[in-house]
Amino acid sequence: MSALFRGPDPERGVEPIVPPGREALLTAAVAIGIVLLAIQLWLLTVALDIYLAGARGQLWVLALLSGVVFVGGVVAIRVISRGPRTTGRR
Amino acid sequence: MSRQERVDQGSREPLKSRAEYPYHWDADDFVSRRELLRLAVLTSGALFAATVAIAVRGAFGNSSSGSRTLIANASDVPAGSVKYFDYPKKGDQAMLINVPGLGFVAYSQKCTHLSCAVRYERDKDRLYCPCHNGVYSVTTGDPTAGPPQRRLPQILLERDGDRIFARKEQA
Ligand code: FES
Repeated sequence: MSALFRGPDPERGVEPIVPPGREALLTAAVAIGIVLLAIQLWLLTVALDIYLAGARGQLWVLALLSGVVFVGGVVAIRVISRGPRTTGRR
Repeated sequence: MSRQERVDQGSREPLKSRAEYPYHWDADDFVSRRELLRLAVLTSGALFAATVAIAVRGAFGNSSSGSRTLIANASDVPAGSVKYFDYPKKGDQAMLINVPGLGFVAYSQKCTHLSCAVRYERDKDRLYCPCHNGVYSVTTGDPTAGPPQRRLPQILLERDGDRIFARKEQA
């Protein structure tokens, strides 16, 4: 966080130094995350329904899909949490 | 004019508060979204864990239960009549039905919607749950009307002369 924002400035207050496009990226990540959560919730209800109906063959497939969404989320948050690039092309 | 500037206009000492909380409005939004994303990933992990738990139970749990139990004598249940009994455990209500033209079938009485007691209605040739008007087929146990989505657990029968045994309950 401290890498992204300046400290207090007596003259101008504090202005964020958010790299261009980063806010949009974060908003998109939140929106996609919510959709994926809804999909995971749906997978859970389908799994419960199959379990209660006594047909258990496809349960691992559903667990696997849910796991893929979760791992994708973890990777995404790691990528997003990385600070802005300070070296390289300007 | 930004929100921050509007707030500052009405105050003689805007800088003190900024020194105490040195984040701009926009920066604060940014941090909150990142926190929300973290919370979403945690929730995602919980949903994943719950799905795995169901899969594990499905793989290692038993879908049928019960042991061989004498439930009735065939002569005591004429065609079109029903006998209620407990199976697989005491208190688990079930019904043995002598369906005209089909013979004996047995189901759990526990409605698959919200567990009310299902009963046999001979005149309408159906299994009926009075709680929310759920209807099941008497020949298969499949839901045919109302809120239930899953079939009634069936009880497999075995006949030995006049005696009828329940062998196991199958979801
Ligand atoms: S409990 Fe049987 S229909 Fe709702």
